[in-house]
Amino acid sequence: MALSIGLPRMHKEAGERRDFLPHLVGFLDRLGAAEIVVEEGYGSGMKVPVRAYLESSPRCRVASYEDCLAQDVVVVVRYPGADTVRGLRRGTILVSMLHLPTRPERVQLLLDLGIRGVSLDGITDDLGHRLVQNVEAVGWNGVREAFKEIQQIHPRFAHPSRRPLRVTCLGAGAVGAHAIRAATRYGDPRLREEMVAARVPGVEVTVADFDLTWHENYMLSRLEQTDLLIDATQREDPTRVIVPNDWVAALPQDAVIVDLSVDPYDFSVDPPRTKGIEGVPEGNLDQYVFYPDDPAYERLPPGVRTKNRRIALACYSWPGLRPKTCMEVYGGQVEPVLRVILERSLDELDLENGSYYERAVARAEVSRWRPARAR
Amino acid sequence: MATGSGALTFGLPRMHKEAGERRDFLPPLVATLADGGVEVLVERGIGSGMGFRDRDYADLSPFVRVVSNEEAFGADVVLTLRCPDESEFVKLRPGSVLFAMLHLPTRPRRVHLLRELGIEGISMDSITDDSGHRLVVDSRDVAWNGVEAAFDALERSWPGLTDPHRGAVRVTVLGPGEIGKHAIEAATKFGNLKRAARFANGGIPGVEVVVVGRNLTANDAYMRARLRETDVLVDASQRADPSVPLVPQAWIAEMPTHALICDLVVDPYLLHEEPPTVRSIEGIPQGNLDRWTFDVDDPAWDALPPGVPTEHRRKVVSCYSWPGVYPLPCMELYGIQLAPLLESLLRAGGMDGLHAEGAYHERALYRASLRAWLGDD
Repeated sequence: MALSIGLPRMHKEAGERRDFLPHLVGFLDRLGAAEIVVEEGYGSGMKVPVRAYLESSPRCRVASYEDCLAQDVVVVVRYPGADTVRGLRRGTILVSMLHLPTRPERVQLLLDLGIRGVSLDGITDDLGHRLVQNVEAVGWNGVREAFKEIQQIHPRFAHPSRRPLRVTCLGAGAVGAHAIRAATRYGDPRLREEMVAARVPGVEVTVADFDLTWHENYMLSRLEQTDLLIDATQREDPTRVIVPNDWVAALPQDAVIVDLSVDPYDFSVDPPRTKGIEGVPEGNLDQYVFYPDDPAYERLPPGVRTKNRRIALACYSWPGLRPKTCMEVYGGQVEPVLRVILERSLDELDLENGSYYERAVARAEVSRWRPARAR
Repeated sequence: MATGSGALTFGLPRMHKEAGERRDFLPPLVATLADGGVEVLVERGIGSGMGFRDRDYADLSPFVRVVSNEEAFGADVVLTLRCPDESEFVKLRPGSVLFAMLHLPTRPRRVHLLRELGIEGISMDSITDDSGHRLVVDSRDVAWNGVEAAFDALERSWPGLTDPHRGAVRVTVLGPGEIGKHAIEAATKFGNLKRAARFANGGIPGVEVVVVGRNLTANDAYMRARLRETDVLVDASQRADPSVPLVPQAWIAEMPTHALICDLVVDPYLLHEEPPTVRSIEGIPQGNLDRWTFDVDDPAWDALPPGVPTEHRRKVVSCYSWPGVYPLPCMELYGIQLAPLLESLLRAGGMDGLHAEGAYHERALYRASLRAWLGDD
């Protein structure tokens, strides 16, 4: 039986402009979806007219948020929230970033409601590498915005006589790799070409991982020589700070901090969870740049020390800064996932011997997620 | 035939270029093909370099047959990691598909020959997603295996590496690209997680990695100063002009005598081409899977083409195929990367069923085809 697809918008914050692009609607049409229902205003945040969706499929129609949620398969990048999920009918397939490993209450809710959650962040190959991700955009968008700030405050940013800019990147994993590359290019390949042509010395990126970041003397010396500090760490223990607020004082006054790991503060647990760099505010798509006098510092939990401040950048969803580029990436990545869902019943997916994407989807489906983890 | 791919046959000949090449496609990938209902012809001895026997393949499915090299080359689709020697192309049938690392952009003679023989091609190294990122690539193993070899050699030759009172080990990485990003991570772990844990348990400080791109590598004063502070120099660069070295001989003289050069680029010396190609770090030898570590007095330096300056030397690790150092994980990775592409190819029923506007993997395959490269459609 052909399934209908709902594509609701994301309403968490005004700055969230991402929706799937018309190409995905065309793909779903070719797959034989019974109907593709997009929410009113879909694509408007990226200046994609709604007729572009309608022209991609004769079975596409525009409807309300609620109507989108009433379809057999609901596809939305960010988790729509518990209240919305409670409104879904039993058996709905929810394809979204569900973050199952860190959200046990969400897992239970989906199971209790009989919602077939397929977690996009849990779609992995057989080696555990995520197949739906955009860490490149995390690294590049965050670093690009940080260099915009440096450009504004550095008096000789584009002068051939200045010394190389010094970036320190904490962490060398997937996000770090892109951040490092972006940093060597000022986060902007065009700007880099201009700087090379003008013979302006470039950017030296120093990378330190956990076997150096614990070393106070090393870190203080390093921070003293840092124009841009990037947190791209993946901490095993989010209760342990990497750069305590005292160390932030070692940074030059005009240094900039960019938080790419975007771990939240959580003082409801003991010990509390904190950001890798202590005292950096939590940002989102509406505000991701924080100057030292920003009221956001005062809103942090009382246990967070914020005495030493620099210009700080943090955003819960760095890829969302370039919504269209982001959704081109996600669109291509979700296509094979949706092919599996539309061609096979989730109950029929073979976790062991199914095709590549069949196995990947089976691993990411909430009802099988725990058994898959235990294997 | 389960998926409508007609009478397609797949041939998996082995790679016989040199003794050190131990890689072959592994049983799970062959099973993927056989499960698609196609006949799979694997060359006798497949997997033997990694401890597999013929029956590990033959027992997978009645669709799998162990055959001679010639029979494997006679299949509809010939799947092999490295491109066969051009002298072997005559073993392929006109109209068959050669699915391998064809390196179409840099091998015009190969392109011409395939076209002349009527052989279709799908170039693994050209298979990219819609953003241009390669889908069949083992850059991680290039970096990790190379950097591991560098620290292996350094641990043998430099007692300072294991001194708990030293400062951070200083690694300079040239080029933050696809290989460089893995090299950076590998360097922060001394090229090997067990070594990193061993050093950490011994209270030995870690590694500071400094990454420099093109906008600094051309700066003579900066680079000389940087090389003076470098224990391991990793070349992961992609030069715009391969006729000019990135690190000239004179700069190597600045490096500490215990320092080591890790060559991940492995460009050849092609001095008689026009324009000529020289190695990125001037005056270093090129290694292979039989031998990749070169001391400063190694005869390999004397075997370099005449005219290549080699006065200033540091220990070098270099291998034309770093992933092949550990063939099993390399082929596991390639198998995982190729599986969905081969499934797409099966679903399409072969080359003629691939379309530029097809699904994700289908259009990636199409873009990597010889016919797309030549603009035949």
